Amino acid sequence: MKRVGVFVCHCGTNISAAVDCEKVAENAKSFPGVAYSTDYKYMCAEPGQELIKKAIKEQKLDRIVVASCSPRMHEPTFRRCIESGGLNAYLLEMANIREHCSWVHPDDKERATIKATDLVKMAVAKVMQNEALVRSTIPITKRALVIGGGIAGIQAALDIANAGHIVDVVEKEPSIGGRMAQVDKTFPTLDCSACILTPKMVDVANHPNVNLITYSEIEKVEGYVGNFDVTIRKKARSVDLKACTGCGTCIQKCPTKVPSEFEMEMMDRKAIFTPFPQAIPNKPVIDRESCRYFKSGKCGVCQKVCPTNAVDFTQEDELVTERYGAIVAATGFDLFDDSVYGEYGYGKYKDVITGLHFERLLNASGPTMGKIKRPSDGKIPQNVVFIKCVGSRDEAKGKAYCSKTCCMYTAKHATLVREKIKDSNAYVFYMDVRTPGKGYDEFYTRTTDQYGAKYIRGRVSKIYEKGDKLIVWGEDTLLGRPVEIEADMVVLATAMVAKADAAKLAQMVGFSYDQNNFYTEAHPKLAPVETHTAGVFLAGACQGPKDIPESVAQASAAAVKVCGLLSKEEMPTEPIISAVNEAICSGCGMCVPVCPYTAIDLKVIQERVHGKTVSRKIANVNSGLCQGCGACTVACRSAALNLKHFTNEQILAEVDALCL
Amino acid sequence: MSEMTKKMQEIAREILVKGEAEVVIGWEKGTFWYLSPPAFIDKPEDVQRLVWDDFCHNNLSKYLVDLKNHEGKAAVFVKGCDSRAFNRLLQDKQIAREKVVLIGIPCPGLLDQDKAKELGKNSDLPKAQKCLDCQYPNPLVYDYYLGDKEALNEVAATKEAADYSDVAAIEAMSPDERYDFWTKQYDRCIRCYACRNVCPACSCRECVFDQTRVGWIGKANNSSENQFFALTRAMHVAGRCIECGECERACPMDIPIMLLNKKLVKDINELFGEYDAGIDIEGKLPLGHFDKNDPEEFM
Repeated sequence: MKRVGVFVCHCGTNISAAVDCEKVAENAKSFPGVAYSTDYKYMCAEPGQELIKKAIKEQKLDRIVVASCSPRMHEPTFRRCIESGGLNAYLLEMANIREHCSWVHPDDKERATIKATDLVKMAVAKVMQNEALVRSTIPITKRALVIGGGIAGIQAALDIANAGHIVDVVEKEPSIGGRMAQVDKTFPTLDCSACILTPKMVDVANHPNVNLITYSEIEKVEGYVGNFDVTIRKKARSVDLKACTGCGTCIQKCPTKVPSEFEMEMMDRKAIFTPFPQAIPNKPVIDRESCRYFKSGKCGVCQKVCPTNAVDFTQEDELVTERYGAIVAATGFDLFDDSVYGEYGYGKYKDVITGLHFERLLNASGPTMGKIKRPSDGKIPQNVVFIKCVGSRDEAKGKAYCSKTCCMYTAKHATLVREKIKDSNAYVFYMDVRTPGKGYDEFYTRTTDQYGAKYIRGRVSKIYEKGDKLIVWGEDTLLGRPVEIEADMVVLATAMVAKADAAKLAQMVGFSYDQNNFYTEAHPKLAPVETHTAGVFLAGACQGPKDIPESVAQASAAAVKVCGLLSKEEMPTEPIISAVNEAICSGCGMCVPVCPYTAIDLKVIQERVHGKTVSRKIANVNSGLCQGCGACTVACRSAALNLKHFTNEQILAEVDALCL
Repeated sequence: MSEMTKKMQEIAREILVKGEAEVVIGWEKGTFWYLSPPAFIDKPEDVQRLVWDDFCHNNLSKYLVDLKNHEGKAAVFVKGCDSRAFNRLLQDKQIAREKVVLIGIPCPGLLDQDKAKELGKNSDLPKAQKCLDCQYPNPLVYDYYLGDKEALNEVAATKEAADYSDVAAIEAMSPDERYDFWTKQYDRCIRCYACRNVCPACSCRECVFDQTRVGWIGKANNSSENQFFALTRAMHVAGRCIECGECERACPMDIPIMLLNKKLVKDINELFGEYDAGIDIEGKLPLGHFDKNDPEEFM
């Protein structure tokens, strides 16, 4: 005889304001199988859970119904509760009388109570059919993959490596460092970006547990949490990393000059190059698109001058496959294309630049050796205009979101203009000044009060060239009058956008992304570094606009999640998965293409038929990949596939309880 | 003896003598003049039993499923619909192509058995409804072909658009009328499962209706259970029905089963794009694959 216990939660007044919880508990006593029924103010709190455990013991209950909130909220809580009370965790059913009842019917207590009673009745009928399920385990490969070698990727890799796990960092560019390497100074302390980044780059490069795989991209990802099989394409560097000493002779002698991406094309690099002086690995790579040898077959100077014979034109892309237990995506961001704003003349006027261009102009190893000079004629600008929210907070032409970092870096830029150029003026056009962050508002206040940057609330309507000046037309909305500034240089605080190939990577690994192609966290508040795909975590601006402190914090958080996973030998899997009845399965394979998780394949089994051994194919569910969505169970005509915990009979029992 | 019957017997004898296949599946004359049931010939001397006439209705590809564990090869005669059934079974991984020798026969359309029984011999008999609806009278796949190849191309080129006027008539009914119509039809059902047994899309090892699923699928022969059977059968062949009409022909209670199947074919065409089952064995099934871009209007 099954003995069901029903526990009705008031959820403070969340439920009890709209549902007569005592009456629901009273009604439940008459349902078939119910041996005990009660209500309590907060069932999820410690006394509530104790109530359940005590009742299991005293009333000899063998299955439990908790009528409370959504199972998404507290099913794990109550599963743990009844498990510690001695029952199998899957002999629990939740009746959602909050989201499905009290919150949607706040004004009709009588009928809401009837509905809540019905929901409990269904849950009782279902739990009577529930079977004890046992979690199985899958082994965990103790190796982590970090995709992206910017500050977030570096921090995550260092933290994972320091915990004693092996980490591979795959970086698309020839060097790690990412965007932070391009930045000159960091807010709010104005310490040099390179001074705090490069030691970390060295640390991660020298760490015995870290393998840097630069100039490489992810080609294919298969498998699941604990066992991701990742194929990495190591692009042909044309330089043997082992032989190369990084002496730089080849770079000096290379005759081909191309604009440097790292320097925002304000300076040239060679066809064989390291992107910046502190690059790691500090060994060059040949850009085959512009190299004279690869284009015409003639030249080969680098090879001739190399003292260690490290230049190898015959190198080819190499594909390596490695198994990882966990993946951290730290792929960073791109900049919005400002040329969308024709009125600013970006791309047309040389002295209208982005914030990242300006960072390079500030940098001692940049195109101007750290002196702020105009890209057009090298003159030192006196009047610099900054325009904020270029591409951000603009649903019409740009992105709806706030790029978060621009207020602070523009304040930083304005400060540095005033500091570096005598008698200069820094004008900042802004919509709002948003400075939440430790020491941020103080920094902004210093920019205006101490450094005298002139903040103008309003948008710029037009910029045009007049002689060697840029005339900036705008509006001061606080004073309600038009403004015209004769500027020498205009810096646009450009929106941060997702990497152009962000969606491709997400599809390859199998996690979700939002309408802006930023990667989606599992929960915006309570699971900000997890994705919906187990074993895949997020760090840095690939998840949304972030500054350095936030990226580093998130990277460390992701690292903790990875370490938590890798610290186990094996991990339990969710038992609510599809199961194949091998006797019935006819091997038609209809379930294979309908599975969104590629969890099903066909396997060959042998059996005896009329005294002969014959082999036939049947469906085979991979318990590590199956997420229990049930798509296969509806595709299977002979019902050879059944989703445990949601079997046809269990669902029917619920329907019958409501309708019969 | 018709020219085609002669050709059939010749090729069957040749196949058996050469040992190309151990059994040849064709048609033979049955108890009545208007019946030509399947024949299984495994000796060269038996080939004269084979016939080709206006009543070779049975879809022979279905019998290949029974020979799944048979070690040798089987040769089978295929009309247009049999060949689509063959493709269908290949797609369902129920048969191996290399274990079958297909002998294609161009089909001029067969005659209505029920009318033959009713009107008698030497009367002017109409074509069977399924043949009037047929868009693929010629075999789509074969190893040997017993007809005129040029005629084959011609017929293929003149493939007419499907006629859904009978479905439209049902759709035009009010929900109550429609419910009454189908209730009346399926109240006659005796659950003999002939429709299922003859269907080339029904290839499960154990049909759900043969399983014991108390409360879920009942065995009782009553209105409600019959309707559950009718709907389940129709949904199980949806997207895979090759419209050979065998279900309706086999039904002893004259239930218009093809009307249900055609309604589903029409709906699938409208919802998922034009699709004819059993034509292309590589393509994705309209109801048999997952696409990340599938519409999710209900979410």
